[in-house]
This record gives sequence, C-alpha cells and structure tokens, in this order.
Amino acid sequence: MSAASPFCTRDESHSILAAILEKSDDAVIRADLEGAVIGWSPGAERLYGYTAEELIGSPLGQLVPDDRWDEFVRMLEDIRAGVPVNYRETIRRAKGGRLLHVVLSILPVTDARKRVVSALSIAREVTALKEAEAGYRASDARWRAIIDSAVDAIIVIDAKGIIESFNAAAERLFGYRAEDVVGQSVNLLMPPPYCDEHDQYIARYLAGEPARIIGIGREVTARRRNGETFPARLAVGEASVDGHIRFTGIVHDLTERVQMETHLREQTALAKLGEVSAVVAHEVRNALAGVRGAVQVISSRLPEGSRETKAAGEVLSRLDALTTMVKDMLLFAHLPEPKLEPMDVGQLVASTTTFARNDPLFRDITIDVSGVAPAILGDANLLRTVLLNLLTNSAQAMDGVGRINVSVDAPGDTCQIVVTDRGSGVPSDVRDRLFTPFFSTKVRGSGLGLATGKRIVEAHGGTLRIEFPDDGGTRVVVQLPVQTSSVG
Amino acid sequence: MVEKSPKLRVLIVDDESLIRWSMAETLAHAGYDVSEAGNAKETLGCLSAGLVPDVILLDYRLPDSTDLKLLETIRRVAPKSPVVMMTAYGTPAMQAGALELGAHRVVSKPVEMRDLLPLVQEAYNARPQ
Repeated sequence: MSAASPFCTRDESHSILAAILEKSDDAVIRADLEGAVIGWSPGAERLYGYTAEELIGSPLGQLVPDDRWDEFVRMLEDIRAGVPVNYRETIRRAKGGRLLHVVLSILPVTDARKRVVSALSIAREVTALKEAEAGYRASDARWRAIIDSAVDAIIVIDAKGIIESFNAAAERLFGYRAEDVVGQSVNLLMPPPYCDEHDQYIARYLAGEPARIIGIGREVTARRRNGETFPARLAVGEASVDGHIRFTGIVHDLTERVQMETHLREQTALAKLGEVSAVVAHEVRNALAGVRGAVQVISSRLPEGSRETKAAGEVLSRLDALTTMVKDMLLFAHLPEPKLEPMDVGQLVASTTTFARNDPLFRDITIDVSGVAPAILGDANLLRTVLLNLLTNSAQAMDGVGRINVSVDAPGDTCQIVVTDRGSGVPSDVRDRLFTPFFSTKVRGSGLGLATGKRIVEAHGGTLRIEFPDDGGTRVVVQLPVQTSSVG
Repeated sequence: MVEKSPKLRVLIVDDESLIRWSMAETLAHAGYDVSEAGNAKETLGCLSAGLVPDVILLDYRLPDSTDLKLLETIRRVAPKSPVVMMTAYGTPAMQAGALELGAHRVVSKPVEMRDLLPLVQEAYNARPQ
C-alpha cells in the first residue's frame, strides 16, 4: 500500500467510490457555495425520499426545517470560509415532511489552488436512537415519579453502603435533601451503635453469612438530620444491576404505631389502676380515717403545749398527705366525665386563687391575676382541681416564696389560662416525663397532679403544655375550647 | 346553734374500729350515750333489741352492705332517728340517693373530731317530730 492511497490504488478509487456511494446508507450530497445541490447519492435518495433528478439544481435548503434555518446559513458561511462541520446533530425534513434526526459532517471541497469551490455533506440518520433515548428518559421520569410518590422512604445503596438514590419520602422522613446524602454512607441515617456496625453487616452478608434483614425486614431505630431517632420498619431487597450489587431499603415510619401502642398500654395500666384503686379507697382511706380520729382524740387529752401534742400534729399532717395521695390516685384512676356547663373562667381563677391564698403554703407567695376570658363550657370542679394543682406546683417550685402570675386570655377560638412562676423550673433530662403518672420531682408528691391535670383538660377538648422560658421558671399553658354554638 | 341536750343516744356504725373508738370517745366525753355497730347485722340487731337512737352515724360501705339498702331498712325500722351518712368516696349519684331515702346529710371521711359534736347536734335538731 502506498502512502498516497492507503485504502486502494488511484486506478481502483473511482469504482470503489462508486460502490461506497451506491451501497452506503449515509446520505452523501454535494452542493455549490450558494447551497444548490450538485451531487445526490443513492443513500441520500433512500434517506430523504427525493431522487437525484428531483433535487439536482434545487436549493439544499428545502431539506431544512424553519427552526434550523439560521444554523444552516451559518454552516454554509463556515464552509465558504473553509471551516468543516463535524458530527453536528440536527434535524432535516424528508420528502412528505417527515422530520429526521441526523448527524451531519460537511467538508469544504477545494480546487487545485486550494480555493473552496463546493461542499460535501455526509448525513446519517439517528432518529431511532433519539427516540429510544427519549423513551428511556420518559420511562426513567415515570419510575422517578412513582418512587417519589411512594409514602415510604426508598433508599438505594451500593455494596459499600454508599447512597445512590433517595426518594422524596426519604427526604421528608429524614430531613435531608437527596443531593446532600447521595454519595454518602447510609450510616448517617442510623444512630450509634448501628452506624458504626453497618459496614460490617454488609461485609458479612457479602461474605456469605445468612441474611439478617435482607428479604426479611425488621424494626430498627433510624436517625433524622436533627439527631432525633424514630422507630421504623426496614425492608431490604437485593438487586444486581450490570453485575453490581445494589440494596434497596424501604423505610416505614412506625412513630405513630409505637405511640398508639404506648397509649394503649397506658390505658390498660389505667384500667388496672382503676380496679386496684377501688380496693385501696376503702381499705386505706378508711384505715387512715380511723387512725386520724384516734390520734385527734388522744392528742386532745394531752397537756396543752406538750412535746407529744406537737408530735401528734406531725402525725396528723402525714396522715393528711397520705389521704390526699389516695384521693389523687382515685381521681386519676376514676376520672369522672366532665359535666360541661357554662362557666366563667375569670371567676374560677379568682375563687381558686383566693382559696390558695388561705393555704399556709402560699403565705409568702403573691398571686397576680390579669386578663379577661370568655365564658366556656366546662366542669368548674375539675378545672379548679387542675388550677389548684398548678398553683401548688409553682409555690413548691419557688420554695414558698415569690410571685405567681395567672393570666387569662382568648386567643382564637380558645380560652387560655397561663400560670407562670419564677421557680426552680425542671431539669431538662426529666422534662419529657412530667406527665408520666407517679413521676415526681418533689420530695413528697404523688406524681399525679400534672398527669391528672392533663387528662382533665384533654377531657374538655383542650390542651395543657409546659414551657421553660430561657430566663428560668416554668410556664404552664392551658387552652380550652370556647363553644361558639349555643348551649341547649 | 348548738342546743345542749344531755344523754342523747348516738349509734355509730362503721367497720373500722378506730373510727368507732374515736367517735365514741369524743361523744362519750361530751356526755352522749354511745352504741356501736361494726356491720349491717349488728346495726339491725341493736335496732330490733329496742334501741331508738337520737342520731345514727352510718358508714356507707360495710362488709355486709355496700349499697343503700341498709339505710332504707333503718329508715323503715327507726323512722324517727336522723341518719348522717359517712363516705370515703361518695359519688354524686350515691349522695343524691341517700338524701332521697331520707338521710339527714352525707359527709366525707375523715370526719374531723372537732366537727363531730356540732354535726350530731345539728342532725338531732333536724329530727322528724
């Protein structure tokens, strides 16, 4: 083979070129520098549907759709300047108007003096490829939409635990954006110790150990972006894509179910407590009453001012505390259905604070009352118990000295009672247990005051919450619904 | 108004002996004639033996009586004796029922010993004539 013609000899070149032009499906076209067709291959005939007779001498521009006209003019200018066009994707119009996706290369043809005299265009149709690509994109978008509309979080990881895909539900559940976690280890969605062990789980599984979660699913603890953990059911599937292992995790949030289970357990415990309390009521309270009466009689016969009289007084106050505790327990266990009657919250606050002021516990406490409240439908006796409990808590938190503020207000459709004190507050580690029955931060306390208060307020359709202002103290907010309909 | 009436007969009905003892001590100390019963059977025994109390202090819940039947019977066999019901955990329904059957009053336990004499005196003053 000579250097001048590596593929064929000069003598052979004519017949070989003719054979290529005849058999190639590429459309080979020659045009002059004004864009008129001067050569039209059989491949061009097959692609565009025009015969050489139809096209030769006609402007090439008739193959160009309107929206590609500017591009076509620029390509002509490039060719006149001797600049080739390489593998340009564009659209051409075949006979009958059908649009074709083509890849074009155009070469300037020069004469012996290197002047550009014409253009040689070679076009290959890629319509089928483009359609397949568009189809793939549409199908991908469809799957994406389905995965993103899933209620459960769907997370795909590779064999190293690196997140490859994170759907919209996962974004909502974990609080991360997909772009923040894709490429990161899935460990960041787990609390310790799981996050430190997860790599080993995958490694052990890939090494052939039996699956503990793949294809089985189990309850796990997951971690949100803000560090909060939550119970979830995790199902993991395994897939091999292009020879690479992928794991697909579907995470179902169990928070609500666990809350419901907890609630049910509490209700069951309450029912049991109710049964027990009926017995306690008679046995304990009656015995206490007997002891109390006897101590009163005995102490009345002791010499005035004796040491024994003082001790008897102590015994009586202990007995009273026990009686109160039993009473609290009874109220908590057998909470009566509130008897809703129109009532004045302002008056309730006034009478309760007056009552409290007469208690020795409040001797050095000032109770400020402010605001006005609308009439509500409520059970004044039960709500008085709630308010008295809150005042007692505040007074005890301030060691019996200071100021309690009680304000009433009517934000929205609610009647709001806010009790604020400047007491010791509550340590942050026990705040979430304040409403747990029998949990108390006091040396002496039944641990039922807040639990009962919350139940009473909730039985009224209201809410009771506790806030801890940054500057100290405690703020209890009771919201009760204001009935707008008339009372019948 | 406490009207002094010496030697009033008071029947104390309670299954808790310390309650009976302290009430009896308090009342006897003030000059009352006190009888005691620890259950429904003893109560009806006292009444059928001819005791006509001026006031009956009656516990609602006794080992052999946990409803208002005993009160009903007492009202029948001793209609002139005012009854003060004592209860450790009275429901409003029970309270209303007792008053309807003619109880003079329903009071909560524990009864303060210093309130006992006025309570008995008040019941006696309101007795059916």
